[in-house]
Amino acid sequence: MRSPVLPLTWHLARSSGRRGLQSQLLAAGAAAVGSFLLLVMVAAALGAGTRADHTTWRTPDAVPAKRATAVQATTTTYVRDEPVTVVNLAQLPGRRQTPAPPGLSGFPERGEVYVSPALAELLHELPANQLADRFPTVRSYGTIGAAGLASPDELVAVAGRAPGDPVVSKAAGEQNFYDDGLTERAPVAGFAGTKASPFTGADQGTVLLGVVLLVMPVVVLAAAAGRLGAARREQRLAALRLAGATPRQILAMTAVEAAGVGAAGALAGALAYVALLPALAALPYGVGAWYTPQLWVGLPWLAAVVLAVTALITVSAVTMLRQVATSPLGVAQQADPRRTRAVRLVLFVAVLAYIWMSTGDSGQLNTRQLLALLALFYGAFWLFGPWVVDRLGRIVGRRAKRPATLLAARRLSDDPRAVWRTVSGLVLAGFVAGFFSVSSLGAEGPTHHGQVAVITANAADARHTAAKARTALHRAGVTATVTVTSEDDYNSLLGGVDGVTAQVSGGQERVDAAVTALTPLGSGRYPVTQEYVSASDDTVTARVATVSAATLVLSFLVAAASGGLTAAANVLDRRRVYGLLRLSGTPLEVLDRARIRETVIPLAVLAGGTTAMGVFGAVQLNKAAGTYVNTSGALQLVLCVAVGALAVFAAIAGSRPLLRKVTAGPVQTSD
Amino acid sequence: MSTVLAGYGLVKKYDSTTALAGVDVEVHERDSLAIMGPSGSGKSTLLHTLAGIIRPDGGQVLLRGDRIDKLGENRLSALRRKRFGFVFQFGQLLPELPAEENVALPLMLEGVPRKEAVERARRWFAPLGLDGLEHRRPGQLSGGQAQRVAIARALAVEPDVVFADEPTGALDQRTSDEVVRLLTSVTRASGAALVMVTHDADVAAHCDRILQVRDGRISNYSPFTVA
Repeated sequence: MRSPVLPLTWHLARSSGRRGLQSQLLAAGAAAVGSFLLLVMVAAALGAGTRADHTTWRTPDAVPAKRATAVQATTTTYVRDEPVTVVNLAQLPGRRQTPAPPGLSGFPERGEVYVSPALAELLHELPANQLADRFPTVRSYGTIGAAGLASPDELVAVAGRAPGDPVVSKAAGEQNFYDDGLTERAPVAGFAGTKASPFTGADQGTVLLGVVLLVMPVVVLAAAAGRLGAARREQRLAALRLAGATPRQILAMTAVEAAGVGAAGALAGALAYVALLPALAALPYGVGAWYTPQLWVGLPWLAAVVLAVTALITVSAVTMLRQVATSPLGVAQQADPRRTRAVRLVLFVAVLAYIWMSTGDSGQLNTRQLLALLALFYGAFWLFGPWVVDRLGRIVGRRAKRPATLLAARRLSDDPRAVWRTVSGLVLAGFVAGFFSVSSLGAEGPTHHGQVAVITANAADARHTAAKARTALHRAGVTATVTVTSEDDYNSLLGGVDGVTAQVSGGQERVDAAVTALTPLGSGRYPVTQEYVSASDDTVTARVATVSAATLVLSFLVAAASGGLTAAANVLDRRRVYGLLRLSGTPLEVLDRARIRETVIPLAVLAGGTTAMGVFGAVQLNKAAGTYVNTSGALQLVLCVAVGALAVFAAIAGSRPLLRKVTAGPVQTSD
Repeated sequence: MSTVLAGYGLVKKYDSTTALAGVDVEVHERDSLAIMGPSGSGKSTLLHTLAGIIRPDGGQVLLRGDRIDKLGENRLSALRRKRFGFVFQFGQLLPELPAEENVALPLMLEGVPRKEAVERARRWFAPLGLDGLEHRRPGQLSGGQAQRVAIARALAVEPDVVFADEPTGALDQRTSDEVVRLLTSVTRASGAALVMVTHDADVAAHCDRILQVRDGRISNYSPFTVA
C-alpha cells in the first residue's frame, strides 16, 4: 500500500495557513542564508588554495645544473606600497627549449617583457621614472594570462634575459633573512615548483581560521530554522495521534516537511551564491579581487552543502519533535525547567585550568597550545553557555522588581539552552571581535619608512655605490640623504648587510622614483624598501585584518539573523499565552521588553565574558609570536560589539509587528 | 444591589454574520451570570464586548455608570488590567513562572512592589485550596489546580468583574464542579461580580442567573437562588 506520509505532509503543509507559511518561509530563509554563507566560506577556502597554486611557478624549481635549460631569478619590487613580482628568465644556450611559464604564450626571449594586466595598467598610468624604467626598455609588453596569476589585480612581470645578465647571476640570488620567498634564483628545466608566493601562501590558512570561527554560528542559524514552528508541530502531533497516526508516521511527516523547506531554502542559498559569484569575486582579499572560476566550488561541494544544511534542519526539527513524542505533555506544558548541571562548570573550569597550566610560567602559549585553547574553548563554550544562562536567570529572577525583568529572568531559567541558542551567535562573534581586535601581528623593531637601500657586495663597494646613488637621485630629482650602512648596523633597513641607504624626502611617489633611479646600482637586485623587509609579517597581518573584518561582519549578520529568527519563532510558538496576557490587560510594551531583556541580559554577560576571553587569547598569541598588542583595536572592538548588539536588537525588534499582530484580537473564537 | 456592568442595545457584526443583535444585559454587585448558548450563538462575543475586548458596532457598555466602549485602546487595556479579572479555558498561565508569580504578575503590572505583590498573591492560595503549590509551575499542576491559580490571578487585583470563558472546558466533571464552585464562591466573597460563558448546564447552575443566547439575541433569563 502506498505510504500516506508524502501526500498527507503536502496537504498539511499547503493548508497550514498564513502562520504556517510564515514559519516555513522563515525556516527556508534561514536555510538559504546558512547555505549561502557556508558556500562562500568553502569557496573562499578552496579559492585561496587555487590562487596560491597559480603562483607556485614563480618560485624556481631547482634542478641540477646539468639538467637545467634556463636560469630563473624571481625577485620583488614595490610600487605604491604594492608588491610587483618580477620573474627573470634566461634560456641557457645549447640546451633544449624551456617550456613556457603558466599564463605566457611562450618562453620569453631576451629583451621580451610580459606583464599582468594590472601591471600593464599601472605602467601606463605612472610616469616611467617611477616604474617602467625598472624593466628592460621594450616597444610593447606581452600579457600574462590568468593561468599564471592569482588575481586579476596582481602585479607580475616576466622578463627574458641573457644568461650573462647580472639580474640572473648568482649574486642576484643571494639571500638575506628578509629575502625568503621574495628573491630566489636557481637553474630550472620548467615551472613545476610547489612553493606558493609569500603573498598568497598564508591566504588559505587565515581563511580557514575565519571559517572555523564562523561555522558554528552558521550551524546554529540552520538549527534554529529547524526549530521554527515547533508549537505548530506539537499541535499537529496531538491531533494526528488522536486521528490514529503512529509516532513513526508523525516523525516521518515532520522530517519530510522540514527537509522540503530546508532543501528549498538551501537551494535558494546555493542559487544566490551562483548568481552572486561575479560580485563575490570582486571583493578584494590579499593580492586583490578573484577570478570568478576560483570561487566556484564545483557541483560536489554545492550538493554537499545543500544536503548538509537540509540534513541539519531536518535533524533539528525531528529532534525537537522526538522530545514531544517521548513526553508530549512534558514538553507542551514545560512541566520541568530544563535545568543545566554544575558538571558544565566543572568541565569548563577544567579546560581553563588546562589552558592556564599550558601557558607555563611565562604565560605564553605555543602554537599547539593556542590551537588547543581555541578547540577546547569552543567545546567548553557549548557546555558552559547554557549553564551561565540558567544561573543568570536565577540570580536576576531573585532580584527582579519589574514584571518584564521577572518574565525575562524566568524564561532564562526555564529553557537556558534555547536562550543560549539565541545569543550564542553574537557571543561567539564577541569572542572573534575580542581575539582579532588586539591580535595585530606586526613585528617589533624599528621601521624605516621613506628609506630605499641598495645591497652591495662589501663595504668598499658601498662607498662607491653611495656616490653613484647621490648622482642618480639628483638626476631623478629626488631629494635624499644617502648613507653607507655596514654589516654591524643591525638596526638599519638592511639589517646588518653592507649597502647604501637613502632617506627620501617626500611622499610615496618620491620613494618609487628613488627605487627606479637606484635600480641600475643593485647589481641585478632591486633596491630594498621597508615593505620588502617586513613583507612576511605585513602579509600575515594584512590577511588577519581582512579575515577578522569579514568574520566580524558575517558573525554579526548571522547572529542578528539567528536572533531575529528565534524571536519570531518564539512569538509564533507562544502566541496563545501572549494573546491571553494582552487580552487581560498586560501592556504590549511589557511583553516586548521581556523579550528584549531575555536576550540583553545573557548577551551583556556572556558576550562581555567571551570578548574578554578573546582578548586574553590574542594577547597570549601576540606574546608567543613576540609581537605587540594592537591597542588601537580596542576602539574597533567597542564599535563592533556595539554595532553587533544593535543589529541583534534590531532583528528582535523586527518581530514586534508580529507580536502586535498575533496578540491583537481575541484568542478564542468568538461565537 | 447596584449595577456594576451593563450593556444596552449591543450589536456586533462579522461581515454578513450578526453575532449580537441588540442585546441588553446588566450585572450587579456580587452577581454571577452564566451565558449559555449553542456554538455560534454569540455568547463569547457578548463576554468579549462586555469586557472591552471587542468594540460593539452599536449600543453601549457601562462600568459603574461610565461608558467604556468608546475608550481608547490604552485606557481599555488599563481598565481590563485594573478592574477586570479573566479566567480562560486553558493556557493563560505563563509556563515559566511559578504559581505565586503568575498570580502576582497583574499586581506588579500595576506597580505594586514585587514582595508585596507576592504576599498579596499568596493570600488567595488557601481559600482556593492551593496551599503548598505556590512554587509549582503550571506544568507541574493538574488541570484543576492550574484553573484555580488562574482564578487567584483574576481575583488578585480585586476586580469589579471576573470574566470566565469556558473555565471548565478542559476539565473532567468532578474537577469542573470543584473549580466552578470555588470560582463562584470566592468571587462572590471578594465582592466581585462574575460573568461566565459555558456550554455546560451543570456549571451554569452554580450561577445566580443564566442568560441564554441564540442567534445574537437573549432568548431566556433564568434566575437561580444560590443555596
